[in-house]
Amino acid sequence: MQATQIIHAYKQAPWRVQRQYVGAFLLVIIVLALVAALYLDLSARTTLAGRDIQELQAQITAIQRSNADLETELADLTSSAIMQQRALELGYRPVKPGELDYVFVPGYVAPEPDILLASADSTSRSFALPEIYSQSLLEWLDDRIKSRGGMQ
Amino acid sequence: MRQQYANRSLFIVIGLVIIGVGIIAQMVRIQNSEQAKLFLSRGDIYAGEFRTFNPERGEIYDRNGHLLAGNRTVYEVGVSLPQMKDVDAMAYVLSTYLNMTDGEVRDKLLNSPADWTYVVVKDYVSTETVTALQQVLDRLDAADDNRLNGLGFKPHFERSYPEKNLASNVLGFVTQDGRGYFGIEEKYNDLLAGVPVQVWVPRDPNKATEIPRVPNGTTLVLTLDRDLQAKVENILDQSLRDYGAKNGAIIVMDPKTGGILAMATTPRMDLNNYTDYFQVYDNGSQYNRSIGMAYEAGSVVKILTMAAALDTNTVTPGTTFIDTGSIEVGGITIQNWDRQAWGQQDMIGCLKHSLNVCLAWVATQIGSPNFYSYMEHFGLGHPTGIDLSGEAMGRLKIPGDSDWYPVDLGTNAFGQGVTVTPLQMLMAASAIANDGQMVTPHVLYAMLRDGHQYNVPSQYAGSPISAQTAHTLTDMLAVSVVDESVGALLPGYRIAGKTGTAQIPTEYGYDPNHTNASFIGWGPVDDPKFMIYVWLQEPETSIWSSQTAAPVFSEVAQQTVITLNLPPDMVRNQYGSR
Repeated sequence: MQATQIIHAYKQAPWRVQRQYVGAFLLVIIVLALVAALYLDLSARTTLAGRDIQELQAQITAIQRSNADLETELADLTSSAIMQQRALELGYRPVKPGELDYVFVPGYVAPEPDILLASADSTSRSFALPEIYSQSLLEWLDDRIKSRGGMQ
Repeated sequence: MRQQYANRSLFIVIGLVIIGVGIIAQMVRIQNSEQAKLFLSRGDIYAGEFRTFNPERGEIYDRNGHLLAGNRTVYEVGVSLPQMKDVDAMAYVLSTYLNMTDGEVRDKLLNSPADWTYVVVKDYVSTETVTALQQVLDRLDAADDNRLNGLGFKPHFERSYPEKNLASNVLGFVTQDGRGYFGIEEKYNDLLAGVPVQVWVPRDPNKATEIPRVPNGTTLVLTLDRDLQAKVENILDQSLRDYGAKNGAIIVMDPKTGGILAMATTPRMDLNNYTDYFQVYDNGSQYNRSIGMAYEAGSVVKILTMAAALDTNTVTPGTTFIDTGSIEVGGITIQNWDRQAWGQQDMIGCLKHSLNVCLAWVATQIGSPNFYSYMEHFGLGHPTGIDLSGEAMGRLKIPGDSDWYPVDLGTNAFGQGVTVTPLQMLMAASAIANDGQMVTPHVLYAMLRDGHQYNVPSQYAGSPISAQTAHTLTDMLAVSVVDESVGALLPGYRIAGKTGTAQIPTEYGYDPNHTNASFIGWGPVDDPKFMIYVWLQEPETSIWSSQTAAPVFSEVAQQTVITLNLPPDMVRNQYGSR
């Protein structure tokens, strides 16, 4: 009889237990909602980033086309026949061998054509995806920790 | 009462559970049904598409960075059939702008196969035309008019040649299927075209993937000098008019590297209109006569005979020969070009007067095995290996061949009965101009790909003669050209060279009225910077090369020294001594 009394004394009221269940249920719901919201946010950002990448790639392609078009147009405008015609219109005429004077310039080396120089430069401008786009979260954390360690 | 409520509740719960389980079971059944598989496979068709990304074809530049072959954007104009609203409006607009008849457009739109959803109305449409069409679309869009719904433009590249017909025989051309024909475009087609990449591109934005970077085709830099090429082509065209020649070829080469500085031939075509090919040429060998057409070059071959004779110590420049006007070789009598006897001559005189009898005698003194061994080492009868497609080998009959006769030793010595291309002669003579070392001719200077530059090294094709022989013969030719071919001289520069007037073989023997006029020469003699070969086919004003090909050589040499900034010998020696 005494034990029963003790149990009754410490047993929670039924409404209290029910409230705990409801609370736990709501907690689960809130956690799930949070996870869902995070997932939605992340996937939306990923999608936007993907779309941005595609748009940028389309822009790059368009610019490359434009570059090729402009380069060809420039070559059209400076073609041998057109330049010769423009020179004649400006009053120039082809030089004759006897009209040339040669000057000795010690150490002079004829420059390489632009196309070859541009190519040599472009090695440093070759495309490389920044690390931030390819490293995992752990790698990023590791990087940060190492960089902080390095700073100290 | 309480128990009754409990029973009802239980009943409702069981009912709801049964309904729920039923729904789930039905979902599982539908998901795994045959129809579901069909729907999924159909859905996959629209989930994305395989796209082929064609790299931009590599460009071609001359040695000074002038663009010779580039790319320009053109458009494929097409219509999405499910979106098309008004065939009449579409046919009217497209026929107006695309230079097609209304019927042609309607035929494409209405008579396409039933399963087609997209029809290409016209390809390779210019940017200007597409811009005009786009303006029409924009105006209709602004007016909320959907009559041209479904009309679309897909950009892609088309090969473009800014210099039109300049160096067309060297460059070749690219057809609409993207394949190169002739010249550089064919020889380096795989490098220029690059590697297309096929990628699955999903339509689901969540699956947006990065499109792989497609590297452009390799860009090529040639050894050609655009300005010199233009000048040489002008000289060739003018010389055909001046001398009434049918066709011709001129090559300018660096004798030390084998780099071709200019290579002009006739006829040429505007590479932007490559469909003209069949109107301009009868066969492929005419596309670039410098490499594709072998002919009997005549007396220019005498320099090779003399080189062999000097190298084998058969003769020296001072060796004398009594020219009686004829010599019998293999039972056949050989005569001089003028059928005259020239009396006592040394070897310089033999070259100077281009005496067939003397050179036939020299060949007999060398002996058949030695003579043909030298000719083979000079590359006769073999392709030069130049990096252009469509090269001919020429023909050198050798003892043992069914059609070789002993008299051929005598006639081959002065360039009859042996066929060569202009480039083969130039390559063979490069051994004389380049201290005995023969160079392999080439037109590729460098390749550029992904920011890396690869320079093409010069290649030597052997040393058929010694350096001493080369120097001796060069001096002999420099002396003989002063007396024999005044027209070939270039004031201020010492030149070595040799004329070649060759009768043309026909099925009835040699044509007495027509010749091939050739000239080969190089300079400056003490440090050769250029070699030039001139071939005029059947000149009418004179059959003699000294009066046709030699002056053309001089003119080309003059433009070459100006373009390459080569000072006269006196100036160069003066500066060289500092």
